[in-house]
Formats: sequence, structure tokens, C-alpha cells
Amino acid sequence: MKEINLDVLKDAAHRLLFDMSDEEYETLLSEFAVLTKQMETIGKIEGLEDYEPMTFPFECETTYLREDEPTTPLSREEALANAGSTLDGEIKLPKVVG
Amino acid sequence: MNYLDLSIRDIHQALVEKKVTPLELTKEALKRAKENKDNCFEMILEEEALAFASTLTEPEADNLLWGIPYLAKDNFSTKGLPTTASSNILVGYKPLYDATVIAKLKEKKAVLIGKTTLDELAMGGTGTTGHLGITYNPYDPKHERMIGGSSCGSAAAMAAGIVPFALGSDTGDSVRKPASYGGVIGVKPTWGRISRYGLFPFAPSLDHVGYFTRYAEDAAVLLEALSGRDVMDSTSSVKDVDAYVAESEKELVSPRIAVLDDIVESIRDNAIRDAFLDSLKKLEEAGAMINHIRFGHDLLESIYATYIVISCAEATSNDANLDGIKFGPYYEGKTYQEVMSQARTKGFSELIKRRFVIGSFALMRENQDVLFLRAQKNRAKIVERTNQILADNDFIFVPAAPTVAPKLGATSDKLSDEYLIADNHLALGNFAGLPSITMPLGYENGLPFGVNFMGRAFEESKLLSICRTFEKITGICGDYYGKEGK
Repeated sequence: MKEINLDVLKDAAHRLLFDMSDEEYETLLSEFAVLTKQMETIGKIEGLEDYEPMTFPFECETTYLREDEPTTPLSREEALANAGSTLDGEIKLPKVVG
Repeated sequence: MNYLDLSIRDIHQALVEKKVTPLELTKEALKRAKENKDNCFEMILEEEALAFASTLTEPEADNLLWGIPYLAKDNFSTKGLPTTASSNILVGYKPLYDATVIAKLKEKKAVLIGKTTLDELAMGGTGTTGHLGITYNPYDPKHERMIGGSSCGSAAAMAAGIVPFALGSDTGDSVRKPASYGGVIGVKPTWGRISRYGLFPFAPSLDHVGYFTRYAEDAAVLLEALSGRDVMDSTSSVKDVDAYVAESEKELVSPRIAVLDDIVESIRDNAIRDAFLDSLKKLEEAGAMINHIRFGHDLLESIYATYIVISCAEATSNDANLDGIKFGPYYEGKTYQEVMSQARTKGFSELIKRRFVIGSFALMRENQDVLFLRAQKNRAKIVERTNQILADNDFIFVPAAPTVAPKLGATSDKLSDEYLIADNHLALGNFAGLPSITMPLGYENGLPFGVNFMGRAFEESKLLSICRTFEKITGICGDYYGKEGK
């Protein structure tokens, strides 16, 4: 397991596109100290190599095919109704190139 | 006596006989909502509710929910109405569609009178982390105790007697634990039984739509109304919906009930333990066969860590779309990354950020095998053990929580059995997707506590039947804080 330190946590937060205050990182670091001990409760369970990772409680039967019927999608105005920055019917963001 | 305090069936009868109207019920519910001081509401929909209730003039005799006021947790999408999930990152967001459960209740002509507070984005179990602050337990008017979460507003509103039912969501115990602290019924059905379309996701492999009622029969009424396949949710089940109300009326013959002794032993509150053991005797007297079983201490102890790893990892990925661009407050920046980063830094509270970092840490390449995949494998082992027990028993029956509602700010030993086992075992129902209902059991110094029944997948009729029997055993039926004559 990767070593847990302030740099690792800051890197993780920045990759998630947010930042925290120094005090908040310290709280997180001390939370990890407890969490690591709690994780050990999983570490001591034997025989897990015999199990497949469980991603859902049980299989869902979704065997239908949708009828190929036209539907009305959102209008442009509706799609943009909740966006805070728009221009000429599109979402406006800072330039990516040039 | 006020009609709002009756069971849904009795209110319905009064509506059909025109002893009361939907408008009168709605006005009474709104009055109670506005008088409440427990911080239950993101918004009270007075104008909308009164307008809708006014249109309900001809009672529908075959529709038990016609004209019944209700509340919804604010993580259910409501078309054209703000839906915040109690997070600043969603302030101002108005969904373009209704969640399926909201649409179904609209079709039934139930009256939505407000949206309730939650722990931010439904991540939390204390009812203290929403952007409007702490939601309090009505049973402690000094406001020293939590109601629990994440469905804090719905639970508190139910405990305060504001409406006959309220929607919540449950990823670890977010309906069933606050139900225990609030002395009401908390239902989480089988995973896939109720469509999740329009519910903001937290951890989709664990998320369920749930709800609160005050009468056991009402729990059946709601399940019948909300269940069923929904093409908008590919994880919703194609299984037929039972006639839950009629089926749950049938008393079970010698039901086999498994009591998990290792959970009971981890509880230190003698009043709760004694009341639970006493309820076993009464269940036996009512014909049940009680089997004392050990689940396995180490497996139970690992539930919490398994839950945290899986839920945080799923949440980290799910909530990547909360970026302030398509919806939510927009902040200027020199690059699109800066725009997103500003929105997420300002929009999420500290707790949410910490959970996301935990999830991200578990998903890092170096950690995935030892943390995330190992947690998923452990989940499989825990579920296997749960289903083994239910192969020989109709239900698993345990205290829902180790204590009455804790005081705000109280600390607990996060490595103790009481915390790791007694305080977190309800996640078993989410791991396995099994139906699970919290029922009120009693009061300790005026504060309520409850028990939990869990059954086999899609066997809600039996589960509701044992709950209706249990309600008769305890005699706790329709209670709320401050109820006339209580």
C-alpha cells in the first residue's frame, strides 16, 4: 500500500480537482491513522483469494430491447437552463488551445 | 385527534367519507412544518402544495395515497424545483425531470409539501453535515441530540409528526438508523425493487430508495405504490410486484428468526439489550422460532471498513460530474480545470472532500488490490455468510443501533466492537441488497430506540408481515414526539 503522507493526500485532492486548507489536510491525515487500523479488519479475513470482487448485490435481468421509436430530447434551452456560463446557445469555458 | 395522525388507510377512509379534505390535511401538515424548529427542511413547498391539494376534490376510493401529504429527501429530483442534496455545489439547480418515485406519487396524487435536509450528498450518518447545518432530534427539545442521517430531515419530520410518510435513501443505514433514533419505521427494500431513476447517486452498488412511516401497514402501502420495473433504471427488477398490503396481513406460521448473538453482545446499553431480549420472548409467545446464531466476530468487525472503502471509491467516481459547468454555481477561471476546481473547492464541505480522497486513495494503482478489490471480495464473503443464515431462517433480527440518539459532538472509540459492529451492522442489508426494516421497540429516558428485521431478497411480504406482528407486540403504533395524549 502506498505510504500515506501530506503530499500523497494533497496530490489526491488536486487530481480530484479541489483543494483543502492545511488544517483540513491535517484532520484527514489523522483520520487515515484510524482508518488504516480499521482497514486491518479486512486484512485479517482469511481465504478472500477464493472470492470474486462483488460489484453488485445480484445480477439484474435486463434483457429487453427498447422499441426503435423516436422521442423528443431536451431542447437546447432546457439543456442549458442550469449552466452558469453560456454563449450563443452553448456552454462557454476558457479557451483550451490558442 | 387529528386526521393527519392516523394510518394512511384511516386517513383515506376519512377522505373518502369527506370528513376531511386533502386541502385541510395539507394545511395542517404545512402548519406543523412551519412550527417545527428541528431544521428539517431545505424548502417548504407551501404554494405548490396548496395549489395541488385544492385540485383534489373527488376522492379516489381505490387509491390509498390520494390527497396524503408527504415529504421527500432533497436528493430526489423534482422537476422545476430546486434539488440541492444539501450541498452548496448544487445550489440553484433545478432538475428537468422528476425522479420515478416522485412521478409515481404525483400520479397517485399524494401531496409533496417539502424537501428535507440530508447529510451532504447523502454521505454521513449524523445529520450534521448538510449545508443548512445540524438537523435535530425532536425528542430532545434542548437540541443536544442528533436524529442521525443521512436522511435526517425526513426522519426528524416523521418523529415530529409532520406527515404520514417521507422518502429517504439508504446506502449504509441512512433510513434505518435515523428511524431508530426517531422512533419511527424505516424501510429499505430489496436492491432493484424500487427504481432509483432521479435519485442522486452516492454508491450505486449500495444505494436504495427507502422511506419512513409510523404504521407498519403504511410501509406495505408505500412499497406497493413505489415498486416495479422502470426502463429508466436498468438495475430495477423485472420481478412482479406483490400485493404487499394484502399479503402482509397474513400472519406467518412459526417464522424462523435468527438472532445474531455477536451483534447483541456488542451492545453495552443494558436497557436496549434487555428490551431486545424481552421482545424475543414475546415473539416466541407469538409463535416464532428463535435461533441464536454467531455470524463470526471478525467478519462483522470488517463491515465498516468494507463499507467505507467501497462507498467512498464509488462516490469519488460518481460525483466527478459535479463541476459547476453544466449545473450548480459557476466560478470564473483561466482554464477549465480552474473553473472546475473553484466550483468543487467552494462547493463541497470538508467531510465530502475527505471521503473523496479516501475513495481516490483506495483506487490508486498501488492500493487497488489491497484496498478496493479486497473490500469487494470481503463483501462477497460477508454476503455469503448472510445468505447462509437466511437459507435456514426467514429473518435476521437484531437491535438497530447500540444506543438511543447520541449527543451531538459526543466521541466514541472508532475501533471498539460497539462502533465497528453494533453501530454499523445495518450495512449488511446494503451489501447483500436484502430488504430490511427498522421498527420502534421502546424508549429510554424518553428517547426512542428500535430493532431491525432483515429478510430474503424480494420476500418483502413476509418481512412486512413480521413487522405488523411486531407492531402489535410492542404496541408502539403511530407515535411521534408531542403527540396528543402521549
